[in-house]
This record gives sequence, structure tokens and C-alpha cells, in this order.
Amino acid sequence: MMTLIRLYSVSKVYPNGAVGLLNADTYIRQGEFVFLVGPSGAGKTTFMNLLMRQVLPTQGQVIVDGRNVVRMRPSEVPYLRRAVRMIFQDYKLLPNKTAYENVAFALRVTEANPRQIRARVTEALELVGIADKARAYPGELSGGEQQRVSVARAIVGDPTILLADEPTGNLDLDTSWGIMELLLRINKRGTTVIMATHNRSIVNGMMRRVIELDCGKIVRDDERGAYGREADHGMVLPG
Amino acid sequence: MRLTTVWYFLAEGWRSARRNVSLISLGTIAASLFVLGALALILMNLDHISQSLQARIEIRAFLEDGLSPEGVAAVREQIRGTDGVAQVAFVSKDEGLRRLRGQLGERAGLLDVVGDNPLPDAFDVRVEDPERTSEVAARISRIPGVLGVNYGQGFTEKLLATMRLVGVAGAAVAALFVAAVVFIVGNTVRLTVISRAREIEVMKLVGATDWFIRWPFLVEGMVVGLVGAAISGLLLFACYKVGVRYVAALAPFIPVITAPEPVAALCVALLLMGVLMGIVAGGVFVKRYLRV
Repeated sequence: MMTLIRLYSVSKVYPNGAVGLLNADTYIRQGEFVFLVGPSGAGKTTFMNLLMRQVLPTQGQVIVDGRNVVRMRPSEVPYLRRAVRMIFQDYKLLPNKTAYENVAFALRVTEANPRQIRARVTEALELVGIADKARAYPGELSGGEQQRVSVARAIVGDPTILLADEPTGNLDLDTSWGIMELLLRINKRGTTVIMATHNRSIVNGMMRRVIELDCGKIVRDDERGAYGREADHGMVLPG
Repeated sequence: MRLTTVWYFLAEGWRSARRNVSLISLGTIAASLFVLGALALILMNLDHISQSLQARIEIRAFLEDGLSPEGVAAVREQIRGTDGVAQVAFVSKDEGLRRLRGQLGERAGLLDVVGDNPLPDAFDVRVEDPERTSEVAARISRIPGVLGVNYGQGFTEKLLATMRLVGVAGAAVAALFVAAVVFIVGNTVRLTVISRAREIEVMKLVGATDWFIRWPFLVEGMVVGLVGAAISGLLLFACYKVGVRYVAALAPFIPVITAPEPVAALCVALLLMGVLMGIVAGGVFVKRYLRV
């Protein structure tokens, strides 16, 4: 499999002295499903923000899909973000737009033609199972439904990489598994998925690659890993 | 840029203006443009009054008694040839007396006491530039056959100095007001943008280019500026109409602007200014939130 993401001794120290990432060296191949685990403040979000170029490393190089994120011109950033989509714990939906418009926005920014937008947004909403809520505003949707809209927005443009930062953090267990099932389906279609999570049962139930961070350092990288104490009684997800 | 994208920007800007712009910010913009417009109207009227007063400034050159018609004609030619003179009109002593009677009104009886017409023949001279009145008058007074000149000495100089002062002060106050209005409108748009910083951040995170984000804000700024300016323009136009009628009834001798064209032109200028300020403010303040 082709290497899609490469981190070369990447460190990120924030202006207030907090360490985001320390000398991280790793790679992620195309089509992989990777869990980023670790306690709060371990550097999971920094890892993802570096890939989206929301922050720049203080040291090292980050290569994403053949692009050097560090040396990239600001005008190239939007194009990186169309290839690397992200799902956020707080969904980050535009409150003044309906579910449909929120998803369509991700295609509008690429200036896709309207017919294409309509077809693909409808398809994405159907895939995440909320086609019937297309006209609802985020405020009228439950947390799980909002996260589904956010997933639909992330996948509608067929991204190369999908980042999910604690996508199940605010959701109950059943809804969380629903979202996980979705991410797996998207991963099967060829999209590389990187998911940061605290949720041990999800990680242990899926048995995928696990990268564990602690205080900004990569302390573990297992091909079919588990996370912590619940490793031995994890749930197994069908599919 | 695709046509559908342009249409999207327009629709988005308009929708967002309708949703986000509060009555308070719209009112603020309308009120500040109204005050600016009112000041401009006052200045325009002062200028109008000053011009019509200046147009009335003329020099009366009295002729020596007993000049022959040829002598009178010669003096007329010399006055006409004087630098700065625009128009020369003969006022015979009889015409002069008639005008004086008109001016004295009820007290015209005084003239009967005097008996014979005491007034000499004269020329009414209009100058090209009112500022040069005293200079031209001095030159005319030196022409042989001219007994003396009268142009409201003292008063004319004071009037001209006052008008100059009013003009400079007015321009200064207007400049201050423009600055204040730009500040107020800019701040109003800024607050709308700040309240949507999160929205801008989300747009950037899903891969929108800076211009894609900026355009709807520019359209929104334009709509807000346009609506605010339209409200103030209409209000100003209506208030001015009422005001002019009031002045006409109370002080008919004050030559205010009654033609609608200059007032309408001012309203159009306000409209353009509102639109421009909205666009500039929208563009400038969004820029600050684009660094995500």
C-alpha cells in the first residue's frame, strides 16, 4: 500500500509552552483505518490539526498526499482541506444552514456544478441515514443526527483522508456504534480514516491499527491493537 | 468564476443580511448617514445663500452733473473697459429716484420735502468676481466724469469674509462627520462579522478559499449600506421638503434651495457612500478572521 501521510520528527510546542507533539515519526498508508488514542492533552488533536494545517509544526516536516504541509503557500491550504476532511467532536455545522445546505457547502466551495451537488449531497445524506432530515437546521437535530450531517459533509467530496476527532465523544453508545459503522463503510470505499478517541470499547471492538500518544510522544504503534484494560472484553462489530 | 457561484454569493449575501443584520445596526447606519446628509444640506444652503448674496453685490458709479450724452457714453465705455467688469447698466436720475421711493416705502414722503430730484445719473456695475469688488470700484472712481462710487463699503468685505469662514468651517465639520460615519458604519459591520467568526472558521475548515468566504460578506455589506442609506435618504428628502416650506413661511427672504435636483443628488451620493462603506467595511473586517 502507498504511504499517504508521513511525519518526519515533528514537534509542536505552543506559544504558551504546552507540548502538542514531540519528535513524532510515523507514516500512514492509503486505505488504512487508524485509531489515535491517549489521555486528554496527549497530542491527538495536534496530530490531526497538523494534517489539516490548522497549526504548523515548530520542527519537522509533514507530508500529506504528496504535499508538504509546512512549505505550502496559504493559497494552497483550501485544496489540502478538500482532500483531507475532518469530523469534529462539536460537529462544527453552520447553524444558519439546513442539513442539506451544510453538506452542499463542502461541494459549493469547490465550485462543482449544481446538478452534481444535488446528486452527491442526496447520496451522502442517504448513506448516513438522515435523508429525511435534509431540511432541518442543526438546532433541530439530535447530537447523533448532527454528527451524521457532519460525516456526510466530510465524505461528500470523496476525500482521500478522513480525520475524525472524538466523533463519538458526545454521543451515547448505540449512536456511537452507528457512527463507527459509517466510518468503516467509508473506509471500505478506499478513504483513509484516522480517528482520535478515548473510547476503549470502540477501539477494542474494531481491532485496527492503534497509535498511542502520551505527552506528545508516540508510545505505541500496533497493527491490530487494543486500548487499555478493556482489551480483553471488547465488542466485535459486524462487517 | 461560474455564474452559479456568482448567483450563490448574491443569494447568500442577501439571505445573510436579512438574517444577521439587526434593526439596531441598520438604524445606526441610517441615523449617521441622515445626520451627515443634514449637515451637507445645511452647507449646500449656506453656499446657495452666499452665492445669491454675492450675485447681488454691485457697484453704483454716480456721474457728475451736467455731462453731455457723449460724455455719459464715454464714461460707459471706460467702465466697460475696466478689468473685472461684467455688466454695466445706466440708471437715470429719475429711475434712481423711483427706485429710492420703492425702497423707502411709507417714508417716501421725505423725498417731497427735498423738492427737486437730488440724485445724479449713475451706472450699476456688476463685477465678474465679487471678491474683487473694492478693487474694481477704486478703479472706476478714478474715471473722469465719475463723481463717486458706492458698493456697500465695509459690509461687502465683511460678508465675503464671513462666507469664506463658513465655507472652511463647514468643510472641516463635514470631513469630521464623514470620518465619524465611516467609523460608526465600520464598527457596525465589524460586530456582525465578529459574531460570525465561528462560521468563518468552519468555512475555512471545509476548504473554502478566502474569496469564497469574503464575497457573501461584501454583498451583505452592500445590502446593509444600501438599505441604511435608502432609509436615511428618503427621510432626509421628506424632512427637507417640510423644512423648506417652514422657512419659506417664516423667513421668505432667505434664499434656500427649493429645486429637488440638488437634494436628490445628495441622496444618491449618500446611497453610493453607504454601499461603498458597507463593501469596504465587510471586506476589511472579514480579512481579520480569515487566518484559520
